[in-house]
Amino acid sequence: MKSTIISIVLTAFITFFITKSLVVKPDECNTNQTQEEHNEISPETLQEFGVEYSIVSGGILTQTIELPGEIQVDPNRLAHITPRFDGIVKEVYKFIGQPVKTGDLLAIIESNESLSAYELRSSIDGVIIDMHFTKGETARISENYFEIADLSEVWVNLSVYQKNLSEINNNQTVMFSMNSQSVEGQISFISPTIDEHTRTAIARVILENTNGNFRPGQFISGNVILSQLKCDIVIPKSAIETVSGLTAVFREDEHGFEPVYVKIGKQNHDSVEVLSGLTLGQRYVSKGGFVLKTQMSKSSLTEAGCAH
Amino acid sequence: MKKFTEFVLSNRMLISTMSLMVIVAGYISFKQLPIDAFPDVSPNLVQVFTTTEGLAPEEVEKYITYPVEVAMNGLPNLEKIRSVSNFGLSIVNIYFEDGTDIYFARQLVNERIQEAREQIPEGFGEPEMGPISTGMGLILFYYLDDESGQYSLEELRTIQDWVVKFHLQTVPGVTEVLGIGGYEKQYQVNINPMALLQYDISIQDVIEKIKSNNLNVGAQFIEKNSEEFIVRSVGLASGTEDIENIILKSESGTPVLLKQVANVEIGGAIRRGIQTRDGIGEVISGMVVKLYGTNSSTVIGQVETKMEEINNILPKGIKIVPYYEQKTLVTACVKTVSNALLQGILLVVVVLVIFMGSIRPSIVVALSIPFSVLFAMIGMNYFNISANLMSFGGLAIAIGMLVDGSIVVVENIERVLKSTNVRTSKFKQISKAFLEVIQPVSLSIIIIIVVFLPLFTLEGVEGKTFRPLAYTIAIAMLGSLIYAMIIAPVLSSYLLKYKQNKNVEENNFIVRALNRFYQPVITYFVNNRAYALSLAGILIAIGMFIFPRLGSEFTPKLNEGAIVVRVSMAPSISLSESKNMTLAIEKRLMKIQEITSVVTRIGRGEVGAHADPVNSAEIYVLLVDKSEWRSDANQEDIENTIRETLEDVPGVLINLTQPITMNVDELLEGIKAELAIKLFGDDLEQLKAKADEIADVIREIEGADDVQVDQISGTPQLLMTVDRKAIARYGINISDVQEIIHSAVGGETVGEIFEGNRRFDIVVRFQENYRDNAEAISNIVIQSEDGAYIPLSELVQMTEIIGPRQITRENNQRFITVQCNVSGIDIGSFVEEGQIKITEKVKLPFGYFVSWGGQFRLQQEANKRLAIVVPITLIIIFLLLFSSFNSLSNSLLILLNIPLALVGGIVALWLTGQNLSVPSSVGFIALFGIALENGMVLLSVMNQLVKAGTSLKDASILGAKLRVRPVLMTALTTALGLLPLLFATGTGSEVQRPLATVVVGGLVTSTILTLLVIPALYEWFSKRKIGF
Repeated sequence: MKSTIISIVLTAFITFFITKSLVVKPDECNTNQTQEEHNEISPETLQEFGVEYSIVSGGILTQTIELPGEIQVDPNRLAHITPRFDGIVKEVYKFIGQPVKTGDLLAIIESNESLSAYELRSSIDGVIIDMHFTKGETARISENYFEIADLSEVWVNLSVYQKNLSEINNNQTVMFSMNSQSVEGQISFISPTIDEHTRTAIARVILENTNGNFRPGQFISGNVILSQLKCDIVIPKSAIETVSGLTAVFREDEHGFEPVYVKIGKQNHDSVEVLSGLTLGQRYVSKGGFVLKTQMSKSSLTEAGCAH
Repeated sequence: MKKFTEFVLSNRMLISTMSLMVIVAGYISFKQLPIDAFPDVSPNLVQVFTTTEGLAPEEVEKYITYPVEVAMNGLPNLEKIRSVSNFGLSIVNIYFEDGTDIYFARQLVNERIQEAREQIPEGFGEPEMGPISTGMGLILFYYLDDESGQYSLEELRTIQDWVVKFHLQTVPGVTEVLGIGGYEKQYQVNINPMALLQYDISIQDVIEKIKSNNLNVGAQFIEKNSEEFIVRSVGLASGTEDIENIILKSESGTPVLLKQVANVEIGGAIRRGIQTRDGIGEVISGMVVKLYGTNSSTVIGQVETKMEEINNILPKGIKIVPYYEQKTLVTACVKTVSNALLQGILLVVVVLVIFMGSIRPSIVVALSIPFSVLFAMIGMNYFNISANLMSFGGLAIAIGMLVDGSIVVVENIERVLKSTNVRTSKFKQISKAFLEVIQPVSLSIIIIIVVFLPLFTLEGVEGKTFRPLAYTIAIAMLGSLIYAMIIAPVLSSYLLKYKQNKNVEENNFIVRALNRFYQPVITYFVNNRAYALSLAGILIAIGMFIFPRLGSEFTPKLNEGAIVVRVSMAPSISLSESKNMTLAIEKRLMKIQEITSVVTRIGRGEVGAHADPVNSAEIYVLLVDKSEWRSDANQEDIENTIRETLEDVPGVLINLTQPITMNVDELLEGIKAELAIKLFGDDLEQLKAKADEIADVIREIEGADDVQVDQISGTPQLLMTVDRKAIARYGINISDVQEIIHSAVGGETVGEIFEGNRRFDIVVRFQENYRDNAEAISNIVIQSEDGAYIPLSELVQMTEIIGPRQITRENNQRFITVQCNVSGIDIGSFVEEGQIKITEKVKLPFGYFVSWGGQFRLQQEANKRLAIVVPITLIIIFLLLFSSFNSLSNSLLILLNIPLALVGGIVALWLTGQNLSVPSSVGFIALFGIALENGMVLLSVMNQLVKAGTSLKDASILGAKLRVRPVLMTALTTALGLLPLLFATGTGSEVQRPLATVVVGGLVTSTILTLLVIPALYEWFSKRKIGF
């Protein structure tokens, strides 16, 4: 009987021994302390990881919008020279593409009615952009004409979408770039109606075209400068970070760089106006604030340290 | 038995020949064994990957992961399903029970994938199975070194994808080569939306036109003069020029060509991962994945040979440079164990010679080692066990035990031959000596085999890790039994001389000294049983006292000799920013003296191996040769240096790990830390909040290291909600809007350009400045059916929100993981404390629950199973003992050895500052067998003496005296056989050390106690038997 008990005890003991494995053994706590001391990061290290600094300053904030447009001949600078009587074309002196001056002889036509020849002369300075006259043919009043355009100035008709209409005004500057040259013009006219098919209105810019770069019919897109605000504080967009759902900028104070919540005013594609939160002359993180942001959430992760 | 012995001895030639055959077969088997570093512990799993173009995690979960998961439910042998829905990538891991044939499992999954495919909306991606491989399958990583410096990242990537990869994939045993880094070449059609408006062409028109102008067709054949001519129409675009000149429309005879509205250029595809090196810049890299079940070292060898060949055909200046391969590790592991094995053999032989006092019997005994080892090779070959740290480690452990049986047999034969002065037949003497000991010897060997039974029942990782060890030990022990029973007597009959030496006095000085010292001691103890008892009692008390002070862990960290620094950055980080961060970190690392090179993978490359997002970087650290390290620096020092160097890197979390460990851990738990606390629930916000609370609690527990909450959220999204009223006003469909968003912003693949075998995508997209910010996107113009131009901002609401980074699910439920490593304290106690504190401090919503995983879970599983198997094993042993001794008290007396042996093991662990772990448990198991063996040998001789008429007391003393030499010898051989493992420092030695420590320590106490306590108690126990 005793032996049975001994054997049971022995079995239990050995089983317990093998399987028992979890034991509490508290030690002195010192694991994380070394890390904590180093939590503050030097500006040099930050620079190493892509953080850039700037001084808060004012500036001009330009807002633009790009609109598609088409170059047109200014109707005021267009002349159609037509025969006054039907008749035979006796002679043609000017052809498509040739520049003409006011009074230049274009063609001589012999009237069918009077059988006398009369001259067609240009009424403006310009370039012949279209003509329908061939020597010997019968020119008719309604069909044959010279089209002479003065291209020293052209129109650009920009299509304005409904939603942008409220922002577009006369006299706004529009930037065009053509053959890597940039040209400026002003909006001189906005159509009072909207095209019922395309649902766009037209904003017109008159452009100088002395060297003939702008050819009517050509597509062109223009950047309309909607506003040019002189702001007290303008910072690059790259300085803005979202910290716990709010916009913030990392600003330098005695503890290093801390996030300050800022109120954003107007903005464009690369800069923003800051209404409050920063003052002129302060140093702030203009790029790479992201690193600091993640560092913040990281230190909140590892700050716990020793609880004993 | 007697007849058997006579048969054996009379057929000496036959036996000799047969054993020679075993040796030859063993050698051949050895040559055929596949060699690995460790046993592969990866779970049985099939991965299903689905890549989609630019879909957010929520959509990936809804449209892809969910259908795939649902399709996989209910598969036979299914264990669990885990999934990760990432940005643009869905991974579903389907775990099967161990032992399921991997090809069978893949077939099942493949069938179900078809179902899933039907459920996934068109164009959202095709689910595909991952490579046929395991966690140890990433056997070699390389990068392309461009010494000439004149190749662009795109060209290098093309070389990688179409030359290097192509050739490497032909190597037998390579299942996949995955490229990463650089840019995948593509033909980009970058559209100017303004031009589209002006020509009145929509982006859909462009897409259609490109698709219908890039085709080859066949048109059967025509007959011409009795010959057949195949008709083909060739219209494939062959380059940018062909694409540029595609006619989009024709306006009164004047064509509008594609180049009038778009730039066509060769560019890089959108990428989600890159590879950098040495803080210098990007490199192109590849990973070689080994086919399941192939031999790592062979495959690596062949891959390396192939690389040489490829190097010759690569353009001048470009070279393949491997930066990580498993072969070094395999070699190191094999070296560690084979060194231990050889040193063990040497030590054992030395002991034999010293104790035996003469060469001939020593030879007979020592020969049992090669025989048993080679016998084990045959078994390993039969059971498909690869040569690795564990299986060969098993042999190294067994070395000392392998000779035990033959020691007892040969020692007795020699003693009998020496002491008999009557000249009888040599065979008869041998037979007599043999018969005296063979029963306890064979029984003790069988018991050693039986004690390893618990290891065979282990499952999962523990099983895969330690079963090879148990197998080799068991098979080798079986070999040693065969040797002791059959070959040892035969060899003795050949080699042992029949000495006419009347002088019974031992001529061996050690044995003489031993006897002189031992006799008075044992006599004293036998006469004063109480002292013996109290000695045992005190020792057991010490053991009981120390035991609770031992820590516990699953398996000591296996040193792979390679360091990986895992860097986790903010989840919202862009690839270019994370590249800059990584390069800066790499520059720092390069300043460390021991580091020659660092290669980093950021994010993921071709799918199949990794699914990391771009905020995660893995830096492979290449070290200089050990000889050039700072004096007395070890790997841990270097790891600490790395930690210090990277300590003040802002905005990142640093984790140090090792390549194989990392991959295997990831497959096991989907996470890369020792401990994983999983919180299950439905709502992502809630999960995140509660997980943060849990993390806070965990962090307060001391020993917590690298505590991390899974970054499930934190990816900013630009959410575009279509305004249904607005689109109704213009008569536009939601899909019209979405298609434009998709192709203009995200890009759309519209065809391929073939360059020989290589094929490259043609991708249509808006020019960068028309899509790279929210404002530009809002200005994208959509044309309605009746011709109205409407900017996107009139049709959609755009909001910036923070969305999930990834959604993880297990068994169809969302969860979030809090992971941490534990240092300075054992995981067991850490978990215990954590569980209590979390229940106390964190209030979970209804339906939410916590589960603990990681290494800790494995340990719990192991313990649970051992709690059942160990008692069963003990009962079997007890039955064996009882059937042999036919006495309950004798059996108990032998079993008493166990606690006595355990004490030594515990003390040894405690003294060396090691933890209780699975390897040390294996040590304890081995110890049982060895301790029992000693007791049995001792007891059997005492019983024989009593039977012959000696008094109990005299039998105790005489028996002990007679057996002191074999007992000491077996103990010493076993201990010395393990000694090399105890002091080994090579790769993999850390797993074997606890095991060896336990056995050596246990042997010390158990031998002392066997020799002192058992004889003292023999009389007492036997008396009780009479009274029983």
